[in-house]
Amino acid sequence: MKKAATLALGILTSVGGFFDVGNLATAAQAGGVFRLQLLWPLLLGTILVIFLIEMSGRFAAVTRQALPDAIRTHLGFAAWLGPFLILSLVHFLVLGAEIGGICFALHLVTGLPVPFWALPVAALTWLFLWRTSFSAIENSTSLLGLITLAFVVAAWQHRPPTSQILAGMLPTLPHHDPARYWFIAVSLLGAVITPYMLYFYSSGAVEDKWDESYIGVNRGVSVIGMGFGSLISVGAIVVAAVVLAPRGIQADDYHQAALVLTTAFPFWGFVLFAAAMGIACLGAATEVALSMAYTTAQTYGWNWGEDLDPREDARFCLVYTGAILASSLLILFGVDPLKLTLLTMAVNAAVLPFVAIPFLLLMNDRKLLKEHCNGWISNAVTLLVVVLSIVLAVVSIPLLIRGGS
Amino acid sequence: MPREKGLPDDLELARDILDQQVVDREETKMGRVDGLVLELREGRPPRIDHIEMGAVVLARRLSPRLERWVDGWRRRFGVRKVARYKAPWSAVLELTSYHLKLDVAALDTPTFDWERWLRDHVIQHIPRPLKGHGEKEEKQE
Repeated sequence: MKKAATLALGILTSVGGFFDVGNLATAAQAGGVFRLQLLWPLLLGTILVIFLIEMSGRFAAVTRQALPDAIRTHLGFAAWLGPFLILSLVHFLVLGAEIGGICFALHLVTGLPVPFWALPVAALTWLFLWRTSFSAIENSTSLLGLITLAFVVAAWQHRPPTSQILAGMLPTLPHHDPARYWFIAVSLLGAVITPYMLYFYSSGAVEDKWDESYIGVNRGVSVIGMGFGSLISVGAIVVAAVVLAPRGIQADDYHQAALVLTTAFPFWGFVLFAAAMGIACLGAATEVALSMAYTTAQTYGWNWGEDLDPREDARFCLVYTGAILASSLLILFGVDPLKLTLLTMAVNAAVLPFVAIPFLLLMNDRKLLKEHCNGWISNAVTLLVVVLSIVLAVVSIPLLIRGGS
Repeated sequence: MPREKGLPDDLELARDILDQQVVDREETKMGRVDGLVLELREGRPPRIDHIEMGAVVLARRLSPRLERWVDGWRRRFGVRKVARYKAPWSAVLELTSYHLKLDVAALDTPTFDWERWLRDHVIQHIPRPLKGHGEKEEKQE
């Protein structure tokens, strides 16, 4: 029974983690500008992230250690400090983008300016983490997150041409705006393979006390959970391609992206979009904030756990509190949530080597994983992630300058 | 000292002990093995004398200048009274692939100075959440 319940962890990670502000923004742009041509980065990213999530869960189940914990222990403090600081900075930006997403959803519904909502949203996110246990966060956001299926339903109602969807799954060269095309492709990948998801997932597996008997469950969770998240992103690209592209709307602004559901659901479309965006971003914001706290606490060996009374892990609570407050200041001081999101997704892609390389080393450590070490397929995929991530890191910065504007 | 089954005999200091998670008797996480101090003995192999924990120890591993800087900050703003917490190797109860257990109570050591300070000065003043207690009772069942 408990094992069936752990499927919820996968669904939470996919709804809150897979489908978040980054996927929404990149999917809307991909569909709005290049219609169905950019489905392939999503497909590629999904395959890669299924493998990475499976590995991080397997690692936690076999060693009882979350990733940041194991990296500090086995690769050493000096090797981990640089990546840790860089990833913390990226987490801070991602958290800002997620909080911006919730604020924008509230702005759509109320008409009040986005910065107005920054502090109330920060307080709400914090209260959610402060009051509830890990399983409560898991269950509530995964149930509410089902609302994002609205994108899949809307895509289905538009009856997109199957042949074009299949064609979009294969990489092709752009017919126009090459810099923008590659920038969106990199951002799509960055939005799918987010570092915080791996750290959150493996720490969650430790919180849920997984052991080797969970290896099978973990495999199911990664495939079903990530597949589910990916389906929602495909839905978002399809509706953007069908609704925005023919009208020449490029989704340069979240207001434009908000139109995607209005053709399928004329009356409720706007509200549905706001609700889906708000909930997906709230789920993701709690995950990113927790992920930051997990990573920091594990790096320094502090007591950690979302199920503990905050009196027992005061430093852990301080990290997520500080992170939420600091990230919300970005929105309070008027940083545009969409620009922040697109920038962050490209940066996500750029820091992937820091995530993938320690991963490859640990997953092949026979002393730690014994017979559960990576097989050649998993190693080939991780190696592909390493190579791809280095290429992405090199190209994403110039693309950010040329294609991002 | 009891060792976990399956742990190989060729224990590597830097790989298996340095940076390892340290827990107390109750398995409360109290920090990491930030430094290892060996005793050199004439005519006999060196042995581990004690482990060191603290931000200053970590800073020294990066550079002596950083160590002085971190220690200066600690003196001025820190709540930790001693920079280094030293635990003798004889206090080690257990060493597994995922933790090193010390025969101490974390709360009584300087490693918990910040934790205690935050609890007494900050957490105390915020309404307590519902979680924490129920979970413990569940564990005892």
